[in-house]
Amino acid sequence: MNLVLLGINHRTAPVEVRERMNIPEARLADAVSDLVHRPGIQEGMILSTCNRVEVIASAEENVEADPILRQFLADHHHCELQPFERYFYRHLQQDVISHLFRVASSLDSMILGEPQILGQMKQAFQIARQAGGLNGPLQEIVNQALAVARRVRRETALGTAAVSVSYAAVELAKKIFGGLEGKTILVIGAGKMSELAAKHLLRSGASAILVANRTFERAQELAVAFRGTAIPYDELFNHINQADIVISSTGAPHFVITRAQAAKLLGARKGRPMFFVDIAVPRDIDPAVNELDNAFVYDIDDLAQVVEANKRQREREAVWAEQIVQEEVGRMMKRLASREVVPTIVALEDRLNHIREGEMERYRSRLGALAPEQREAVDALTRGILNKILHGPITELKSGVGNPEHTALVRLIQKIFGLGS
Amino acid sequence: MHDVFMWLALGLYGLGILLLIPSVVHRRPSLSPAALGALGLGLLAHAGAIAVVAARIHRLPVTDVRSALSFYAFLVTLAFFLAYLRYRITSLGLFMLPLVFLLTLIAALHAEHSFDSSAFRGGWLLIHIGSTILGYTGFFLTFVAAVMYLMQEKELKSKKPRAIYYRLPSLEVLDELYYRSLVFGLPFLSVGMVTGFVWATRTWKGPWELDPKILASLVTWLIYLVLFSTRVSGGWRGRRAAYGAIFGFAAVMVTFLGISLLSGQHGYIPTLKP
Repeated sequence: MNLVLLGINHRTAPVEVRERMNIPEARLADAVSDLVHRPGIQEGMILSTCNRVEVIASAEENVEADPILRQFLADHHHCELQPFERYFYRHLQQDVISHLFRVASSLDSMILGEPQILGQMKQAFQIARQAGGLNGPLQEIVNQALAVARRVRRETALGTAAVSVSYAAVELAKKIFGGLEGKTILVIGAGKMSELAAKHLLRSGASAILVANRTFERAQELAVAFRGTAIPYDELFNHINQADIVISSTGAPHFVITRAQAAKLLGARKGRPMFFVDIAVPRDIDPAVNELDNAFVYDIDDLAQVVEANKRQREREAVWAEQIVQEEVGRMMKRLASREVVPTIVALEDRLNHIREGEMERYRSRLGALAPEQREAVDALTRGILNKILHGPITELKSGVGNPEHTALVRLIQKIFGLGS
Repeated sequence: MHDVFMWLALGLYGLGILLLIPSVVHRRPSLSPAALGALGLGLLAHAGAIAVVAARIHRLPVTDVRSALSFYAFLVTLAFFLAYLRYRITSLGLFMLPLVFLLTLIAALHAEHSFDSSAFRGGWLLIHIGSTILGYTGFFLTFVAAVMYLMQEKELKSKKPRAIYYRLPSLEVLDELYYRSLVFGLPFLSVGMVTGFVWATRTWKGPWELDPKILASLVTWLIYLVLFSTRVSGGWRGRRAAYGAIFGFAAVMVTFLGISLLSGQHGYIPTLKP
């Protein structure tokens, strides 16, 4: 096994370099095919997204694959690779496996735990396979990388906790109301942010939406877009207590909802909670409303603060995820190594058995006619000696799998017993 | 035999609690089969311990403090399983089960001194005790839901979510758990109170109405009646209701345990005379 990976990503290279090195999806199959037809390369895959370009290959033993990959990239982009040299990273052997597992699990992403990379890796895998680039250990490794990513998703909370302001609002709403089914949203003042938040809330199950705006026409436009109801701005307070979630983003220079007004509202709602999302600057909702029982007020800075906390939460989850990845890398290495050992064991057994049968043949005439039970006894005797001799080397071959010195041991046994490579 | 089962139950409860921790720390969507298995087997062993004594004295063993606590711990564990199956709150176990462990430990430690009294022969008294303990089980769940509610509410109000925020369920779910367990507990406590009065009127002489435990029970009952009626008539939700449930459970503790030391009639003293 001779694995190599050459790549750039959002950390090592600026966007100009990444787009220069990018290989568009339409040309990916041809590129993979070109790569694996180069002498010395057995398998190849290319992962090209807006944040990374990586060329991964499995080469023949004793072939230095790194220059081949560099030449491939230079040829493909019709350029000298020299000026870009410093942006590239290179991984070999076990590091390739570890890197692929981390990338698939979104541990190497710009936003930790973002889900797109898994789909992108899956696509790169399929394209490479269709282009004939994968048919051996690399295929198995990438396939396993996808499985590891799914395990990380299942066993850690790496991908949870919103990292955008509008999703953070949705998550907070869920922490207050449980499900959003049957909940009513009131949007006061139309704006990009409030539209986005309302859209996310509706998609998460909120059932009704009311829109109020200083200009009634704009409210009607929005109401049509969201299949909601427009309400005249003057009648805001007649409708507001129907709303479970209030998203406010007016240009008003003063508070639209004061503490006293909110207290009255909550009283009318018999203690059912209300969630105020205040996106306006200057703020629309008196921050003192947050002091009232069953009222929760988040302004734009509060939401940003929650996003920051969520990011730190993801970083903590990443520690667990890294442990899973390392465990899986170890397992993969073992599996690959034992795969390499099996042919040696079979060859060794064949070789010794061949000797045994040859000697049996040679001595048959000298032994004379043997009764069937005598022949069986001789057979069992020779077989027994053979198994005793084989026991040591086979145990050694199997047990050392994964150790660095193990390859040398395999070579040594092959040499001693004259097992042609 | 009883002691073997009790210590077995205690060990399995302890193991189960330890096994809960990784599921909560890692924020798994459900508890590990190992944790649920240990707790389930613990519950079974506990049931065995209760059954052994019940078979010997031919009635539910709730007639002394130790066995009453043991029975209570058993019911709380059962309530945990029911609540978990319904709501899938992984952190619930860490709030409920340490009490179970403590009560089981107390019950396992004290030498058995179950006493017999003609007072316990009648069915009335067993209904009185059993029903009251069932009510208290519901109220413990109400208490736990209230504590979790206050913690999560604090996280949401502070706007600086900490580790606990991600591990507690939504306020809505906690409120539902609160209300349902309250609605479960109140009728049982009421039946317990009424049967207690009926039995006392029939058998006790003298001013038993002034017994400290009976007075404390009345106060406890009133607290939960207020919590329930204000909830139904509207208004009492959220923080205020949660504080009420915590106060209510403090009263339960005083009634259940504290007053027993002072009460003549409820003292669980072998010399009790009807």
